[in-house]
Amino acid sequence: MKKKDVAIIGYSETKINLQTGRSAYDLAGETFSLILDSVGIKKSEIDGLSVTNSFSEGANPLFASYMCDALGLTVSWLQVNGIGGASALCGVARAASAIRGGLCQTALVISADAPTTAWRSNFGAYRNEFQDPIGINGPPEMFGLIMTRYKAEYGLKVEALAKIALIQREHALLNKNACSKLKTPLTLNDYFNSRMISDPLRLLDCVMFCDGANAILLTKPENAKKLGIKKMVYPVVYAELTNFNGDKSCPNITETGFSIIGPSALRKAEMTPKDVKMFHPYDDFTIAVLMQMEQIGFCHRGEGSDFILMNEFSYNGSLPLNTGGGQLSAGQPGLAGGGVNLVEAIRQMFGEAGERQVQNPGNAIVTGIGVIPYARNWATSNIMILEV
Amino acid sequence: MKNNCDSQKPIPQPNLYINTRSFWEAAKQGKLILQFCPETGNYQHYPRPVSIFTGKRNIEWREVSGKGNIYSFTIVRSSLPGCENRSPYVIAIVELEEGVRILCNIHNCDPERVKIGTPVKLYWERLSGDINYPAFEPDKCFKK
Repeated sequence: MKKKDVAIIGYSETKINLQTGRSAYDLAGETFSLILDSVGIKKSEIDGLSVTNSFSEGANPLFASYMCDALGLTVSWLQVNGIGGASALCGVARAASAIRGGLCQTALVISADAPTTAWRSNFGAYRNEFQDPIGINGPPEMFGLIMTRYKAEYGLKVEALAKIALIQREHALLNKNACSKLKTPLTLNDYFNSRMISDPLRLLDCVMFCDGANAILLTKPENAKKLGIKKMVYPVVYAELTNFNGDKSCPNITETGFSIIGPSALRKAEMTPKDVKMFHPYDDFTIAVLMQMEQIGFCHRGEGSDFILMNEFSYNGSLPLNTGGGQLSAGQPGLAGGGVNLVEAIRQMFGEAGERQVQNPGNAIVTGIGVIPYARNWATSNIMILEV
Repeated sequence: MKNNCDSQKPIPQPNLYINTRSFWEAAKQGKLILQFCPETGNYQHYPRPVSIFTGKRNIEWREVSGKGNIYSFTIVRSSLPGCENRSPYVIAIVELEEGVRILCNIHNCDPERVKIGTPVKLYWERLSGDINYPAFEPDKCFKK
């Protein structure tokens, strides 16, 4: 059931930074130019474009078309993705399907956002009446609710969350694209002394919004060879689930779609968690990393804290975790954040991760998380297994 | 008892995305009504344009008891814009007796003493002349 008929042939990423004063288009232009240079192809080879929605251009319903125009591309396939932090990963999956279906031959998946320079999004819907007056601004409050319930059902060792924050910070120190403000070493004391945001969620459990962009290029392997491209990574399995528990009035909020798609993706790849060489999970909050470990199947439900405390997640450890620092420590460039860990996984598999290079990473799991609904856990979970 | 920061809360605008006039009219009279799907016998909240159980528009408003218990909670300590005088404040998911959950603030309770399973009952917050907003308070014991 693994597919190797479409290949990832390149990636690029801008530096992630605060208040750049730049637009999503300008950041996209930079990452676009970088990927053309690194892959060594002309832009005329690209005939498909997937665009991740952005907070900074959220008021423009024609964003993908404007992006296509800004980049000077003429395409036979254009897609816009609006499943939040799951969008970059789903863009790769949709691009692969479009290539398989003959809608295009070579597709660019671009994610760019500048929410710390300009915020032009309004979620509308029920929020004005049923969420805003309560003082729920966004994900931190909802994750506080999820953590409290998890803690009550299973027990939560805070030092396990601290370990995630610390190891990812060590990785970010080795990543030249990581946000400058986050490039200071962290100690266990720093973690425990970081202020409570929304109990039991601390500041250092959370991502920080930044500006930035990233891109991925896909085509069929035979076309890649024709273009003289040597480095390839295959997105062999992909699964996605949106609006998990969306038809339940009292769902278990410690459960997510990963409990379904995680184990099934591994089965399709004919892998067990022990075979996974690198884990690049979506990391908006430390608890999200722990919950994914459990629900994808690295350990049993409720054993996430112990699993984290007993394993080594350094780039040279037994299960390298978000080796570029993840969004937690490299920064979350708005909705382009879903591409940060994806690009790092590809960089590692291309053997281009420099001093944090994982030895022979033959495969990787990359995930995405999107959209926090009313009184439930996250709405979209997606997972991709990459192989060389 | 009136929360001294009520005036800082965003005032909801009924009917922005679906017809919620009945909900706010009932609230003004101190009644909590929620959407009920008669085909499946289930409540749903927040209000939707269809039954989330059947996809049909056969839904009605029914009054609920306003009694339940705390399914989960968090204490918000950051000073969000417009909430400077409020923090720390408690946000909870309350599970009502009728089998439906509601996001809400918990009043008349020391935030540090809120627990999962705490029995709560309705507490109406007056946000404006027109809007009574549903919140909850402990049903008995450990008041401030």
